[in-house]
Amino acid sequence: MTLLNVENLKVTYATDDETVHAVNDVSFSIDEGVNYGLAGESGSGKSTVAEALLGLLPGNGTVERGTIEFNGTDLTSLSEAERRDVLWEDIAYIPQSAMDSLDPVMSTGDQIAQAIHTHRNVTDAKARDRVRELFEIVGLDPDRIDNYPHEFSGGMRQRVTIAMALALEPDLIIADEPTTGLDVIVQDKIIDKILEIQERMDSSLLLITHEIGVIAETCDDLSILYGGKVMEQGSVDNVLVNPTNPYTMGLKNSFPEIDENEDPVAIPGSPPNLNREPTACVFEDRCPFATDECGESHPDLVDLPNRNHRSACHRVKEAAQLRRDADEPETWNIPDDGDADSDRGEVILETDALEKHYEQSQPLLSKLRGEDPDYVKAVDGVSLSVRRSEVLGVAGESGCGKSTLGETMALLEDPTGGDFMFDGEPYEYYRDGNLQEFRRKVQIIFQDPFDSLNPRQTVRKLVGEPLTIHDYRTDEKERAIVETLEKVGLTPAEKFLDQYPHELSGGQRQRVAVAKALVLDPDFLICDEPASMLDVSLKVNLLNLLRGLADAEDIGIVYISHDLASLMQVSDRLAIMYLGRVIEEGDVDRIASQPRHPYTSSLLSAAPEKDPTADRTRVLLEGEPPDPVDLPSGCAFAPRCPKAQGSCWEAEPAIDEIGDETHRAACYFPKGEEGLNASDASAVDETKFPESANTDSVGD
Amino acid sequence: MSKFQRFLLKRLAISVLLTLVAVSVIFVVLRLLPGSPFEALVTSGNLNQEQIDEIRAMYGLDQSIWKQYINYLGSLLTFQFGYSILRSQPVWEVLEPRLINSLILLVPALVTTAILSSVLGMYAGWNRGSRLEKASIVSTTLLRSTPVFITAIFFIIVFAYNLEIVPALGMRSIRATPDGYLETFVSLDFLHHYLLPFTVAVLYYSGDFLLLARNGVVEKRGSEFLKLHRAKGLTEMEQLARAGRNSMLPILTYFTLRLGMIFQGLILLEVVFSWPGIGRELVLAIQQQDYPLVQAAVFIMALAVIIANLAADVLYAYFDPTVSTNGGGSA
Repeated sequence: MTLLNVENLKVTYATDDETVHAVNDVSFSIDEGVNYGLAGESGSGKSTVAEALLGLLPGNGTVERGTIEFNGTDLTSLSEAERRDVLWEDIAYIPQSAMDSLDPVMSTGDQIAQAIHTHRNVTDAKARDRVRELFEIVGLDPDRIDNYPHEFSGGMRQRVTIAMALALEPDLIIADEPTTGLDVIVQDKIIDKILEIQERMDSSLLLITHEIGVIAETCDDLSILYGGKVMEQGSVDNVLVNPTNPYTMGLKNSFPEIDENEDPVAIPGSPPNLNREPTACVFEDRCPFATDECGESHPDLVDLPNRNHRSACHRVKEAAQLRRDADEPETWNIPDDGDADSDRGEVILETDALEKHYEQSQPLLSKLRGEDPDYVKAVDGVSLSVRRSEVLGVAGESGCGKSTLGETMALLEDPTGGDFMFDGEPYEYYRDGNLQEFRRKVQIIFQDPFDSLNPRQTVRKLVGEPLTIHDYRTDEKERAIVETLEKVGLTPAEKFLDQYPHELSGGQRQRVAVAKALVLDPDFLICDEPASMLDVSLKVNLLNLLRGLADAEDIGIVYISHDLASLMQVSDRLAIMYLGRVIEEGDVDRIASQPRHPYTSSLLSAAPEKDPTADRTRVLLEGEPPDPVDLPSGCAFAPRCPKAQGSCWEAEPAIDEIGDETHRAACYFPKGEEGLNASDASAVDETKFPESANTDSVGD
Repeated sequence: MSKFQRFLLKRLAISVLLTLVAVSVIFVVLRLLPGSPFEALVTSGNLNQEQIDEIRAMYGLDQSIWKQYINYLGSLLTFQFGYSILRSQPVWEVLEPRLINSLILLVPALVTTAILSSVLGMYAGWNRGSRLEKASIVSTTLLRSTPVFITAIFFIIVFAYNLEIVPALGMRSIRATPDGYLETFVSLDFLHHYLLPFTVAVLYYSGDFLLLARNGVVEKRGSEFLKLHRAKGLTEMEQLARAGRNSMLPILTYFTLRLGMIFQGLILLEVVFSWPGIGRELVLAIQQQDYPLVQAAVFIMALAVIIANLAADVLYAYFDPTVSTNGGGSA
């Protein structure tokens, strides 16, 4: 039976001088007990659909037309009070950013109880019992219901919102990007939890996300949105395996995956401007297959024969041919530079047992007694080296110290121990008097392209500023700026020179940030999650750009991210960090195919697959990373490690515990050698590992 | 010792230290002023040197400055403020009634305005862009920026002279001879005199609270957690209450700060309404260099501000769980 039926929904936002057509005639329906996915890049209108369903549109948004039928009643015709009764009782909502969607000054238990009290006439004690029960269901300690949101980590807060959504056992749960902003391991756990619970409660789920991998793994049906239009719709198996719409093809191809040898192919261009009603196909200007017909009208959704699959494309009949072409980068007008293995140059930066410890403030009394303060060991003895033309990826969960490592390498933080050499000189040489030189040679690119650019400066000023500061190429400033802008793909550069950041798209802004770093011709680039705020297709563009820069400009790059899939695409070598230490390091291919450290393999297995037919075994890690102040003795990973044994708790394994120069790991019982320790001796000479069965083995 | 107790202890220690600094500054500054309390007597020529020395000795002013300082601290600790030079009365007997008069006028006014204006401000912020919001901002800003004596005189002209609803001056009618605070303050006559200055004080303080509350709510209005509250099915007013609750901190800070400063009275208001408050008394005492009186008054003011700040810190811990203990939650 159909639970939710959305028919020709149109939503517009009124802004000061124009109307934004965010959602244009979207129709879909969700059956009872079905998981429905709504995928699309930012600006595709997917969150607006959710807000329209919930009646949470901001003041300037209006539902122009269309019906939202839920259980037979049209939600758009309900009064404010009637709608409030439906909310949460029948339709619950899991919000986007777990970090700030809980009321900071209300205990988590009270917030859930508030939802119960609003709709049910129950006693406080009963509500509390229910809250405890819910905490248990989502895997939180029921004794913590009186804790405030700030006492929980990001993943746990998301569990609280899930518990809240479950409180009244609604028929439909709308989850708006429930895992964005969480790292892979937590994301995997949350998705697993949502699925498990939802199976038990027999409710429907509307999952909104830009990660088609997440949808592929969790949903039965999906709609792909672009520019406020449904581009393709149907069962996940049909749509993602055999897409018939060029946009879906592009989206699927640009989604990076770990065990894939082909480079992802980005969709060039940026999302459409929605300030007028679309007359042509919304994807026309980015579509390589566009014909005259596409410019005349937006195609209607066409039912494909004999299967649950609809696509909005004028050339839907030629889908099979398009699909073949779409796999080739040339189709999308992207030059295929091939996988020419660049020669790696000499070592440019080398750290030796680098440490950055933060002292914790301690009570006056213990200070007087001369007690040693506690330290947060953000970076604890990291030895790495980066060569010219090499991209070193640094991966790890949030809080593992990877950003501090980047900042310490950039001398934005003073190392508290260990040593690092840059370009043949120890860091003290730069710190004491030659910092200016260091700042020119080493550049850092930050996470957020929205905050890291001064909004009151034009691109010309933004990119030119470092030149003035360092008195570098000042006589040919304009040329330097234009050259750099073209290098990062902002062509024609003249068009961008006088624009302000707010006039640029997210991808373009991040390119300006890259240009700002590159204008000084640095020798070394540190990128701290530069792509995490970007959509898939833009992300791939940026990754390809960095890869190309490393090859062409002979610079060394450290790429810090929690997203293993994109790290695999961009890096030559990979270092996996856990609680301030590097626990595995080596060539990307070897880590991908044969991870040695159990932590690495759980990271790898946590990344979702975009192919719905692929079966992935989840390795869910127990618990959260321990408190970095009070680390257990021995291996820091031991408390969460499925294979930990006595010796793991006694002494910490060094990074060169096993492996060789090209691939080493800090583990006593690495994967692949477990046969030696296992009771059945038959697996001793096993050389083929089940984990690598579906990856092409990489010759080395 | 729990984290909170430690936090409280630390705050207390800091407060004590601050008080000490404050009273020392008062002591030094007063003595740096040119002239002395007996200058007038001396210049009038009625006293000979011997008599002057005698009076100085009586007040302990012949002692070395260090000795005076130690005595001063000792007296403060035991709350003995000495004799007023100007009035030849124990200082506390001079200060107490005036302080009470000021507080009885200003504390209720401040509390009333803090509650009313904050609620109004929150409502205005929630309905951003409405006529109510614009009108409330304009009128309170106007009231806030007009000197209080102008507003007061305007009110006196309208309500006392033209409409003759309330008396213009004083705290009680001239014929009243009340005995004790109870008789003074619990009477219709007092209420009659009280209304006008109370209203002016309420209006005077209203702007700050209104703007603070409005800004807080405007800032919170688009936040994610309110969206979740809305999705839960809370009514508009319940959502507003949550938004208001989340923007309490600046209001609380401002309220306690103001509360501490009330102990200096509202001099202009007291002068215009001839209200026998502490503000007027203080100006007079400084003019006459009445050391003991000024010292005692300033001590009380400093103490009030410091205690108010301490209260703010403690209230913070209650109102915002995230700041309860040196930041950083315990798992």
